[in-house]
Amino acid sequence: MQQGRRLAGVGALWLGAVGCLMARPGVAAEFSADIVVDHSAPTALHVADQAVRIDAPTGYFLTKGGVALFVRPGKQMFTDARQSTSLTQWFIPVDPDSPCAQWRAAAMNAGVAGSDGEWLCEKIESAPRSRWRVTPPGQSSRECWIDPSLRFPVRIQMSDGTSLSLENIRPGAQSPELFTIPAGFHKLDPQSLIEHIKRSDVWVEPPPQ
Amino acid sequence: MRKKLGLSAVACAVSLIAATAGMAKDEVKDPDAADAIKTESPIKHVIILIGENRGTDHTFGVYRAKGRHQTISNLLSKGIVNADGTPGPNFKLAQQFAVKPQPLYYIGAPRNAKTAYGDRGQMPQPNTNGAPSAQSVSGAPFPPGFPEAANQVDPSPDFGPNTNTILTTGATNLPAKALDTRVPDAGMLPNGPFVLQGLNISDDDYTGDMTHRFYQAWQQSDCSMANATKANPTGCLNDLFPFVMATFALNDSVTPAVQGNFSQGNEMGFYDAEQEQASTLKTLADRFALSDNFHQSFQGGTGANHFMLGTGDAGFWSDGKGNPVTPPANQIANPNPAKGSTNKYTADNNFSNCSDFSQPGVAAIVGYIESLPYRAEPNCAERHYYMLDNTNPGFFPNGFQAPNPATQSMLPASSVRTIGDALNDKKISWAYFGGGYNDAVALSDEAVAAGTAMTQNSSTAMGAAALADPSHELGVAYCQICNPFQYASSIMGDSAQRKAHMKDTVDLLADIKSNTLPAVSFGKPDGLLDGHPQSSKIDLFEAYVQQVLDALEANPKLKAETAVFVTWDEAGGYWDSGFIQPIDFFGDGPRIPLLVLSAYTTGGKVSHDYADHVSILKFIERNWKLRPLTDRSRDNLPNPRMRDDQPYVPKNMPALSDLWDMFDFDHAVKQPYLE
Repeated sequence: MQQGRRLAGVGALWLGAVGCLMARPGVAAEFSADIVVDHSAPTALHVADQAVRIDAPTGYFLTKGGVALFVRPGKQMFTDARQSTSLTQWFIPVDPDSPCAQWRAAAMNAGVAGSDGEWLCEKIESAPRSRWRVTPPGQSSRECWIDPSLRFPVRIQMSDGTSLSLENIRPGAQSPELFTIPAGFHKLDPQSLIEHIKRSDVWVEPPPQ
Repeated sequence: MRKKLGLSAVACAVSLIAATAGMAKDEVKDPDAADAIKTESPIKHVIILIGENRGTDHTFGVYRAKGRHQTISNLLSKGIVNADGTPGPNFKLAQQFAVKPQPLYYIGAPRNAKTAYGDRGQMPQPNTNGAPSAQSVSGAPFPPGFPEAANQVDPSPDFGPNTNTILTTGATNLPAKALDTRVPDAGMLPNGPFVLQGLNISDDDYTGDMTHRFYQAWQQSDCSMANATKANPTGCLNDLFPFVMATFALNDSVTPAVQGNFSQGNEMGFYDAEQEQASTLKTLADRFALSDNFHQSFQGGTGANHFMLGTGDAGFWSDGKGNPVTPPANQIANPNPAKGSTNKYTADNNFSNCSDFSQPGVAAIVGYIESLPYRAEPNCAERHYYMLDNTNPGFFPNGFQAPNPATQSMLPASSVRTIGDALNDKKISWAYFGGGYNDAVALSDEAVAAGTAMTQNSSTAMGAAALADPSHELGVAYCQICNPFQYASSIMGDSAQRKAHMKDTVDLLADIKSNTLPAVSFGKPDGLLDGHPQSSKIDLFEAYVQQVLDALEANPKLKAETAVFVTWDEAGGYWDSGFIQPIDFFGDGPRIPLLVLSAYTTGGKVSHDYADHVSILKFIERNWKLRPLTDRSRDNLPNPRMRDDQPYVPKNMPALSDLWDMFDFDHAVKQPYLE
């Protein structure tokens, strides 16, 4: 019982904190779906109140308002997601009529090199889904389909043919606990671990050139 | 470059989803294939577990042999210290010296240039160096509750029942690079070894590291035939340990307070096994077999010693096809003292062409090797620049070959034959199980996709990948230089070989459980658990060992035909009182412990036969009927014939035991490892 109260408390704290950081692009629907990359096994996605949860083998990703985290229940820790997966940069709530601002912000928050440059975004179809050709700086173009009712991308076709798509979309309320970081979880900073490992023989510093 | 960033991100997404699918597969239980292979002994499996940086006197300096009629050569038996760790009647046998400035690098200091330190703090004193000052959620020691909580849901080699408490303890609560006041009497310690035990320090505490590199280690050993005696016919006095640490990087024109005081006197610290320190290792020594004449095979550090363990030889800079070439100038060592300094190395780099006596530092060692009263050869091939100190392999953990090893400071792909190649030839199963390997592969994939693997050193590129992908951050704790096979073209350049033989600790535990353990297994913990001073603790390596032993205990049939070798890569710069048999330009170095755990090595035996890392290769070769790896590898050396009057000195030097003497294959004894 005590754990449940703390869960809610921490979750509210996280959602509240990230809420300040975003420009609301409109209200996305509440739903769950499967993300399928080509023909691989699907992974679960949940969307509610502008927050997105994407499940992964060892945990789950949470994004909201440009903040993306990777939560590892098995180790009771979480980290910034950064570029752990591209899914957190693309499967986010967007404005169907102007999605690139949100994608650009997500890429910048993930630290993708050059993402603060100019993005080429061309709307090539309006209905039934808005369809965009998007070229991030220094990257190849991709086509993105956005469901206007969900205000959410439902398919991304990379230039190399790789396809990421939402399947089995199931509208409906999502449990708030899906989007929380449980109480007592610690945030890990990879830079600190690197500094710790530099004190051992594992890390080999190259000699000055 | 930027285009590849996009591909990287997609690759991550694909790998995450693919991994989900993989998790759903049922575990496959195969019969023990290694059983079918004919062996010289009843041993069908060996597991070699390798810790980091502990010497024999450092670990077992105060240990009384448990076995009947067994003796051990250590600080206690020599009277250097008493059973409580205090100075003993022969404490002066361990005294350390300073040396007046000399014009060139030396390994046997002139007697008239040496002065013993005083007994009231004049010897360089222990300091905290880079040991963690406080608990941190981002690196050990973690806050209380953190690893324990993690273990509730996801036991793993890093956060498991054996480690969850001790990963939270041991911070120094002192500043970095400060006098380690946890050591009783620190600041006033006499000239000799001191016990790492007191109200504020034990084997559960992080302690300061010290430099342990090739030229420094030879100099610390202070070997000269002018020092030779009947009991010590190679004349290595081991009496310059703190001095070299205090001077090799000391710029005399700058005060120590300004430039930092390096690792100073940490070399002289030791644990008292008779007072519950390193108690798991002591219990294993009591019940099984311990060697007190086992040595690190290479003077210096981690990479070269692991390389020798896998090849019986030294690596060298090449064109990636086996032909020697000269490395970049910033890789070539010059240990000659800088002008005006006491002993500051001119260029403390990693490679030397030891076939050329005019190269800095070479003549001192080669001259000594050639002066030995037995047929030792430098074993330095012409035009070969040998890897003397830590250099990352030319392959990333995922098999990507660095395209510019010279600018990436990575050893070009090696053609030196490994024990893995020899086992492959005979279709004998083997694997290297490195902690954090799976995450390191993921980070490597991302470094390749990001393009950083094309230009950066693998540590740097994987570190950057970890910052971008924190979900695989443990990959930075995987030890690349500890894996001798990661240097080898024959293994890393072949995806099927990598898949078959390059594994993670989780795979070792799974293989033991599922009865699919290879015949020969090398196990290396990640950087949090490897026992390395400063970044780890001796009890964390004990916990790693115990985890493997617990898994074996749960599989009695496998345990009955398995020998577990527990050893270390090197002594880590810790001083040791033992005899050293120099074999070639590269070593041997100081003693390190070797424990052999099997049904045929019970009773607390202590073996005195001279041995080093290559002895483990010799055991494997004898048991599985393999030939020496090459015509120049150390496994060609004969077994030692030991002297009755000097039980640590072979009659037929240079010689290396194949460790057969530690076994009694006529008597199998069932007993638990630790319970």
